[in-house]
Amino acid sequence: MPLGLLEGIRVLDLGPEIAAPFCSRLLADYGADVVKVEPPNVGDPARHMGPFAGDEPHLEKSIPFLYLNTNKRGITLDIGSDAGREVLADLVGSVDVVVQGFPPNESEALGLDFKTLSEANPGVVVTSITPFGLSGPYRDYSATDIVTCAISGLMYHSGDSNREPLRNALSQSLYVAGANAAVATVAALFHRMATGQGQQVDVSVVECLATHLVQAAPFYDYMGAIKGRRQVRGSGFEELMPARDGYVVPSIQGSQPWPVVAELIGEEALLEERFGSGAGRLEFGEELKALLVEGLAQWDRKPLFQASGERRLVFGMAQDAGDLFDCPHLRERGFFVEVDHPAAGKVEYPGMGPRLSEGSFDVRYPAPLLGQHNREVYREDLGYGVGLLASLLGAEVI
Amino acid sequence: MDDAPLAGIRVIDLSRVFAMPFAASYLADLGAEVIKVDTCDTRFMDTTRILNGPYPDNDPGELYWERGGTFQTLNRGKRSLTLDLRSEAAIEVLKRLVRLSDVVMENFTPRVMGRFGLDYANLKAVKPDLIMVSNTGYGHSGPWSNFGAMASALEPTHGTGAFMGYLTDDGKGSQPRADVPNKIGNSYSDFLASLTAELAVLASLMHRSRTGKGMWIDLAMYQVGVSFVGEGVLDYAFNGRRTRRMGNRHESMAPHGCYPCVGDDEWVAIAVRTDSDWAAMCQAMENPSLAVDTRFADAKSRLQRQRELDAIVSAWTETQDQYQVMERLQGVGVPAGPVLNARGLLTDPHIRERRLFEPADHPEVTGLGRREYLGRGWKLSGSEVKVRGPAPMLGEGNEYVLGEIMGLDAAEIQALTDEGAIGEQPIGATTPGAVSLERQVELGWTVSYDPGFRQILGGAG
Repeated sequence: MPLGLLEGIRVLDLGPEIAAPFCSRLLADYGADVVKVEPPNVGDPARHMGPFAGDEPHLEKSIPFLYLNTNKRGITLDIGSDAGREVLADLVGSVDVVVQGFPPNESEALGLDFKTLSEANPGVVVTSITPFGLSGPYRDYSATDIVTCAISGLMYHSGDSNREPLRNALSQSLYVAGANAAVATVAALFHRMATGQGQQVDVSVVECLATHLVQAAPFYDYMGAIKGRRQVRGSGFEELMPARDGYVVPSIQGSQPWPVVAELIGEEALLEERFGSGAGRLEFGEELKALLVEGLAQWDRKPLFQASGERRLVFGMAQDAGDLFDCPHLRERGFFVEVDHPAAGKVEYPGMGPRLSEGSFDVRYPAPLLGQHNREVYREDLGYGVGLLASLLGAEVI
Repeated sequence: MDDAPLAGIRVIDLSRVFAMPFAASYLADLGAEVIKVDTCDTRFMDTTRILNGPYPDNDPGELYWERGGTFQTLNRGKRSLTLDLRSEAAIEVLKRLVRLSDVVMENFTPRVMGRFGLDYANLKAVKPDLIMVSNTGYGHSGPWSNFGAMASALEPTHGTGAFMGYLTDDGKGSQPRADVPNKIGNSYSDFLASLTAELAVLASLMHRSRTGKGMWIDLAMYQVGVSFVGEGVLDYAFNGRRTRRMGNRHESMAPHGCYPCVGDDEWVAIAVRTDSDWAAMCQAMENPSLAVDTRFADAKSRLQRQRELDAIVSAWTETQDQYQVMERLQGVGVPAGPVLNARGLLTDPHIRERRLFEPADHPEVTGLGRREYLGRGWKLSGSEVKVRGPAPMLGEGNEYVLGEIMGLDAAEIQALTDEGAIGEQPIGATTPGAVSLERQVELGWTVSYDPGFRQILGGAG
């Protein structure tokens, strides 16, 4: 296997849930050595999130947990206890990065803030992911995915103009924040190569999402105009429209002229001159939409998508999880990787987003069982003696 | 600049539209010198320079290609070198510049880069440790590799619609269904690609520092998008479940949703995580009988009676403004927040205090003055990361790049100008017709507009 890009970088993932684990999973995908720290007995709250493998609620079978924690080793530690805090200081002393997603006040109470952690390791990068960031009037407010999505401005623009704003798919705010956190963390590590200095990385979930408003924000700042959700009137192009077996997105944004689009959809009336210009398609939008609906009703999604691509058009189609899992294109690109997990079993997992010329996506570990690598990390990495380990176990610190 | 993580790193940005230009602008924020390769021919120009707007007070003005707010956001802090890549001399100049640079970012189709002789193999020959990002819809291999893509059509293709959609209630007592996929606003897929490129470039820079090796990053927006809904795909692998849409509801929390407030199109999002959240919410609603109502006593019963719950919550929220609801619920520890539009975001006290929007001063000739642009969702305590200036005027960096960086003399630069390979004026420019804001509202392009927006923004400080 070629050298991982971040090989030799050691990361402590304190969780919880989605954002911090996704950040450290991305670092692990690039070859960093990630140790995941979980509370004894109950584990990361993500272990309790469904759906579960086999739809059977089980600490080792949460699908979000299995997806978010591949390529990590896992240990348990009660970081709230005095003894646990001493162990944590040893762990922090052995790593380059700590990633954590605890609320600011809880972080400070637990000693997981940059100031405290950098006393244990002056060069450490501490990446903290919180709904609102570590400063400002909302710092200590509570939030879940739908709330961060709402305040960010992204949700106002999601859904249809004649209904309420719509929550985004699968905790996307936390995935986006995790990816932003990975970017900022590697920037801090790269800077550390030049300066030797660690630092605090302060990631705000709300602000990560807000940066998507590259159209709506200047619309207001430049001319006071509010952009809204997708309009339900108009010609139907660039929107999800019904086809015979599901939904497609017809598009005129490809490099080809209108007649190519019209011929693909296959309604002769679309070739009328009045639809030939942008102004005409705007003026006769409702009639265009009626013709589009008729034309698309003759097509299944996948043949239409294929025909669009072959004509250098850019139609899309609504694919479900099964379509993606069986997608011949992803298969040929080697996107899926078989992972054998001792409790959940063996299936193919989605792999890494980009492909790299040097280095390949490689699953070194499935998501860890709770406390699976306690012995390895505490004995071998930290050099704890058998007696110390036994007393920590006895006191339920580990 | 020594305090900037990417001080001394030079990036050539050949990319267009949203995803890669935005990624390159973040590299500029991090202190890299980013050279945007522009072109004077409007047929091949980055479309955000000439098509997207928005223009100050909806007036494109004479220099409209310098005045678009979206273009400015996506290209802040870069230099501009105009090169007409159809000219052999321009390709030679570009290759010489690659030799003096660290990173190349592009989003042409595989066919186009090959035709220009600018594919990774060719560029690696002139710069062996080059880091290059090639961003396409579907990647450089696989049966769809030559298909074009735009984010608005790509998003459902990579699966988000399987996991989001409205609940529709037939009002006859059956379970509401969510059969229709929907989309996240604002070219969502572009931003996933942008983040992925930033991470890959930074990791590759770390790798190059330690091994001396370059990297080619084959970034397929489709594949990246699937990796962000990976838990949904893994659910299919384990359980065969194809979709999981639930409107604004949640598997384990209730009430959970988006509720109407006073005002037009004003909403608040609320998530009740636990029984104690529910008790606190009843207290905030000043409805003590609800707190002891056994119909809603635990999560299981609340999940079964969401229609009734939503009606009760809506009746409470619709008499208040969105910030009142947030303050009351946050005051008792319940997650709640306004669904902000751009005005709300630009004026929100928390966002202001965090300085998410950062200023840039524009050249006088553009008439833009000082404007604020979206920064980043993260802050580094020990590095200087910031919006370093406005987007570059067309060709403003020609002399700097060709003369100072590459050492071309005046005669060589003049020869390139004579040949039409470089320039500072667009060719074939036609001022876009401004559609009045009243008309934009009629067409549904915008919801509304505030003639007094300057006072509103000024008041936010």
